[in-house]
This record gives sequence, C-alpha cells and structure tokens, in this order.
Amino acid sequence: MPRTRRRLTPYLLLLPGTAWLVLFFAVPMGYMLVMSLQQGSLSEGYHLTWNWGIYPDIAVKYGNLFLRSVSFALATTVLTLAIGYPMAYTIAFYGGRLKNALLLVVIMPFFVSFVIRTLNWRMVLSDNGLVFGTLKDAGLLDQSFRFLATPASVIFGLTYNFLPFMVLPLFVALEKIDRRMIEAAADLYASRAQAFWRITFQLSLPGVVAGSLLTFIPAVGDFINADIIGARSPDVAMIGNVIQRLFLNSNDFPAAAALGFVLVAGTMLLVGVYTRIVGTDRLTS
Amino acid sequence: MSDPERSQIELAIDQVFRRELISRRTLLRRGAKGGLAVGAMLTLPSLLAACAPAKTQLEWANWPLYIDIDETAAPDPTKYPTLNAFIKQTGIKVHYVESINDNEEFYGTIRPDLAAGNPTDWDVISPTSWMVKKMADLGYLEEIDHSKLPLWTANCADYAKGLWFDADNKYSVWWQGGITGLGYDPNLTGREITSFDDLFDPKFKGRVGGFSDMRDMMTLTLATLGINPTTATVADAGKARDKLLAAAQAGQFRGFYGNEYYDSLAAGDLVASVAWSGDITQMQLNDNDKVQFVVPKDGAPRWNDNLCIPKKAAWVDQAHKLFNYWYDPVAATTLSEYIGYFTPVKGVSERIKADADSYRANGDTEDADYYDAVAPTVAPTADDLAKTFDYPTLENPADEKAWNDMFNEVVTAQG
Repeated sequence: MPRTRRRLTPYLLLLPGTAWLVLFFAVPMGYMLVMSLQQGSLSEGYHLTWNWGIYPDIAVKYGNLFLRSVSFALATTVLTLAIGYPMAYTIAFYGGRLKNALLLVVIMPFFVSFVIRTLNWRMVLSDNGLVFGTLKDAGLLDQSFRFLATPASVIFGLTYNFLPFMVLPLFVALEKIDRRMIEAAADLYASRAQAFWRITFQLSLPGVVAGSLLTFIPAVGDFINADIIGARSPDVAMIGNVIQRLFLNSNDFPAAAALGFVLVAGTMLLVGVYTRIVGTDRLTS
Repeated sequence: MSDPERSQIELAIDQVFRRELISRRTLLRRGAKGGLAVGAMLTLPSLLAACAPAKTQLEWANWPLYIDIDETAAPDPTKYPTLNAFIKQTGIKVHYVESINDNEEFYGTIRPDLAAGNPTDWDVISPTSWMVKKMADLGYLEEIDHSKLPLWTANCADYAKGLWFDADNKYSVWWQGGITGLGYDPNLTGREITSFDDLFDPKFKGRVGGFSDMRDMMTLTLATLGINPTTATVADAGKARDKLLAAAQAGQFRGFYGNEYYDSLAAGDLVASVAWSGDITQMQLNDNDKVQFVVPKDGAPRWNDNLCIPKKAAWVDQAHKLFNYWYDPVAATTLSEYIGYFTPVKGVSERIKADADSYRANGDTEDADYYDAVAPTVAPTADDLAKTFDYPTLENPADEKAWNDMFNEVVTAQG
C-alpha cells in the first residue's frame, strides 16, 4: 500500500496544476477551435460547418499583421534586454544596501494600471505635448514632426510596459552568481570582458531566456499600445487589434477565434523552437 | 446606433475622471465593454424577477448614459429624475436597465425567445433604426396603438416620424438621435472644411482622424461618391473601400479612432476628424473653443434610436404610457438639457433657451451659457436633414459581413 501511494504522489501533486491547465487553457483552446470552424452571424446564430477554409483565408488576409506583431515583439524583446541587462547587472552587483529599494523602483510603475500609464505616455508624447512641443518651440524639431501613431512609438510603449518583466528574472539570475567564479577567472588571467562574457553572461542565460519569454509572449498579443499610443493607425495595427475588432465590432466570432487560435498556437511554436535552441535546462538551472 | 470601440479598462478610467455631465456617445466612445458586465449584473435580478409569478415592474432596456441622472442621489430607484416623475405620476414602476451596448449583441440575447414565440424579459427596448426594421420584418415587435399616444400625435417633430425603417410608426417611436459629421480647427487647417473629401487633402497627411465605426465611415465615403449610403450595395461598398484604403495606405489617416479622437482633436494632434455633433459643442465649452463642427456637404450619417415593444411583452399598455410620457415637452426638455442629442419633441430648443434666459436673469451665467450652447443642438436644422442619410440597412447578414471585412482592410491598411 505505501508503495502504491508513493508511486501516485507525484501525480496527485500534479493534479491541481493539470486541472488548471485543462480548465483554463485546453478547454478554451478547444472551444476557440470549434468556434473558428463555425459559420453564421451573431443575430442568426452560428453553426458548426467544419469550415477549415477559414485558416488559409486569414493567413492571406492577416499574414502581414502576424509578421508585424512578431517583429514588434522581437524589437521589444531586444530593446528590453539591451536596457534591462545593465539595469539588472548594476542592481545585482553594485546595489548593496539599496538593492531592495532599487528593485522597488523598477516595479513601481506597476502600482498604476497598465492602461493609465499608457494613456499618460500619450499625453506626454503628443505632437504639441511636454516633450515634442518643447523641442518644437525651441526650434530643434520641425513643426510637422510626430512620434505618436508611428511604429516606433508602439515599440517604445511595449518596451516601457514590459521592461520590468525582463529586469526581474535577469536580476534573479545575476544575483545567484557566485562572485568567486569571477575572481577565479581573473586569477586565471581572464580580462574583465572575457570574465563577463564567459562567466557572468553564461550564468545569467536562464534569466535572459525567462525574461525574453515573459516579454515576447505578452508583447506579441498586445493591443493596448497600438490602440492608445499608436492611435489605431493602420501602420501599427497588430494582430491583437484585429482580434479585438473582429470580436467586438464586426461580431465575426469565427474569424476572431481562428486568429486567436493561430496566435496562441504560433506563439507556442515559436517559444518551443526558441527553448529547443537555447535549451530548456537554462530555464531551470 | 452601431458599435463604437470599447474596453473595460477605459470605462473604469471614465468612471474615475468623468463623473460630471457626460453624454452616452462620449462614454461609449470612451469605451464601455465594462458596461456589458454591468449590464449583465443588472439583468440578473431582472431575470430572477421574471421567474417570479407576479410582475411588478416594467422592464426597459436602453443604451448607457442616455437618460438624465441625478448624480448626487443614491443609486436606483432614485437616480433618474425625469423617469421617477413618470413613476410617481402613473404608479407604474420602471426598472431601467442600461444593457444595450451593441444592436446585434443585444438582439442576440433576445432572439432565441422571439424566434420560439416566447416573451422576452423586456417590455420596452431601444434599438437603432435598421434594427427596428429587421425585427419588425420578422414579426418580433408589437404594434403600437397610436390612440394611446396623444402626446406623440401632438408633439412629435416631422423629422422624427414616418422614417424609412417604419414608415407609419407602426412599431416604433423615436427616442433620441444625432449626426456624425466633421470637426476641425480652422487655424490648423488654414481653410474651411466643407466636405469629407477635404480630409483627403495631402496637406493634412497623417493629421486627420477617421472613426473605427464601419457604418459611420462607409456612409461618409459613399456620400462623397454620389451613392446613397442607405441603399448602397456590396459593389458600392467596394468603391468606398477602395477610396478609404488608398488613403489609409498613403498614411493620410493618423488613426481610426473610437472615443480618443476627442482628446487628439482638442489637443491639435488632429487638424480635422470625423466627429459627433454633441461632442464638439462640449469641446467648445470645455476644451477647445476653436474647433468647429460641420455637416459635410456631400452627406453624413444621421442615426436614431427608438422605443419599441418586443413581441409578447407583458406590459404593453404600461409601455404605451411610458412612450406617451416622453413626448411631454417638459420631460423632453429636461432630458435634452442633460444628454444633448436630437429630441423628437417640438419646441424643446425654445424651452431650453427660455431656461437659459431665466438662469441669466438669476445671475447664473455659467449655466445660462451652457444651455444657450445646447439649445440649437437638440434639433436638426432643415439643412442638416437635407444633407444627412440613414445608415446602410444591411439586412442580409452576408452583406454585413462583406462590408465589415472590407472596412477591416481599411483600418489595417491591408488590401
């Protein structure tokens, strides 16, 4: 008896997590797939017709937008890494007694709602607002210059909003590094750059992987930044905007569900390839 | 009306920042998917009430922020002064629910009952013109007995009756309406804007705003092409799509806005934009007095929402009393002073002006200015009417999907 119980324990422990995944991920995904294969209208009702043709349809129609969403998210990931790494490094290695206070500063913006923060950026960055209005008045910028409603502004917004998701895992990874390894590298005549590249950076890779996943995944499906900072300009429409529009404005549930399904499945695929290349053990080591 | 953009979070922000006078359109534009949740919450008790054997109140579904509210009073049942006056007058209890955020969406919730020949939970609903026609054609609306509506007969303005979707007002009477036109700042455009085509001037590239609402944008564009938007075909819509898409791909539109056009126009990020008439009145008073509203000369959408009785409603007689009440000029004036849309009742504009004068006589210039500004906006001028169209009917769902798909190409600039 005790033996069977011991054998069952891991599965029992997995039960809550599995139930959660099934209930809130697998079932909705299945529902979304079924919804996407229906035809009809909201007022007349939708009927399942196994309309697989919707997938090639949306691929043709919205393929570009998928590419744009992925490239915006990639740019965001690279930027947050470039900005977040020095931040996390400084806090982990030179933070000293201020470490906790500095981390608090990093997550401080999270005390305010995501949307309110984004709305505020729209105000600050508006054509004649605090930043560009001042520069224009000083004659440093052409009067016609604008930043809002451009792809750069959306990537800016995404980078700002997801930066803490990059900094925190990086900090955790860097903090764990045994400083004696770096000293040992120096003892073995490694230059500071070599020591950084071959010791510090390699050991911080789990943080890089976790941080880029935490940044990339929400960024690729984000629609708030394109909506608010991007002013729903056609140049910045991301796949999330289209899904929102199809669901709420066009009431075209099947197409919206199909796009949602492809977005989630596609993101999982990309993440799968990424972790395969970098190695999943990096996440856990 | 059709469905402006909404998001739950924006509604929350609104509730924080805009407690004061706010129009229904403004809120909807400022977003209100949250209204859905609120609507659902409010409907639950009404569903429970429907299960109870004895009916004690009239159930009325309307759009959010479409009635005068006493913000200082406690919530239900004391917060709608004009409606409460009706309750007091007639002893008919009214359960007023702001549960319509979108015509199709709301229709979707009552369609199964109507199709099965069962009563819905509602005694009064407030659908937009084209939805009235759709429901009437399917036999889903009760006929109105005009002998019970003496005030409607006496006071309904000509522009508010005998319209295309219900020529004899057999199934509907007008609740409120409005126009989607253009707003612009003459100092920034450097010239007068008279047509929707003016927004396509390359000089304004990237500084004009469109709406994300398909019906508004397609109607405006079709009118510039000399096509009657109300009766336009899918092929006609294709021409409008081509025109809008070319402009979108050239970067003419800064964006396709929902509610946020208001802020961008007031801030001068947009030199001109599609706009709602009532909003610009508010903007001149509160945010930017340079911005002008114009009904484009080629034509613009005119919309209205209506009072209807769904088939097999329990309280048909009481619903008639309610309809009649809203055509009382006193009630209509209070309502219009608060929400500022087109009223169906004659003489309201004059009454608001009289109120302004009496405020001024009492030394309250702030309120007097406000009412003076509102007075001319609560009824369309003859010129407004000559230049406006009703929304495309799109009775066939396949057509509607085709139109939506085409407009989605425009807002994503993917052709």
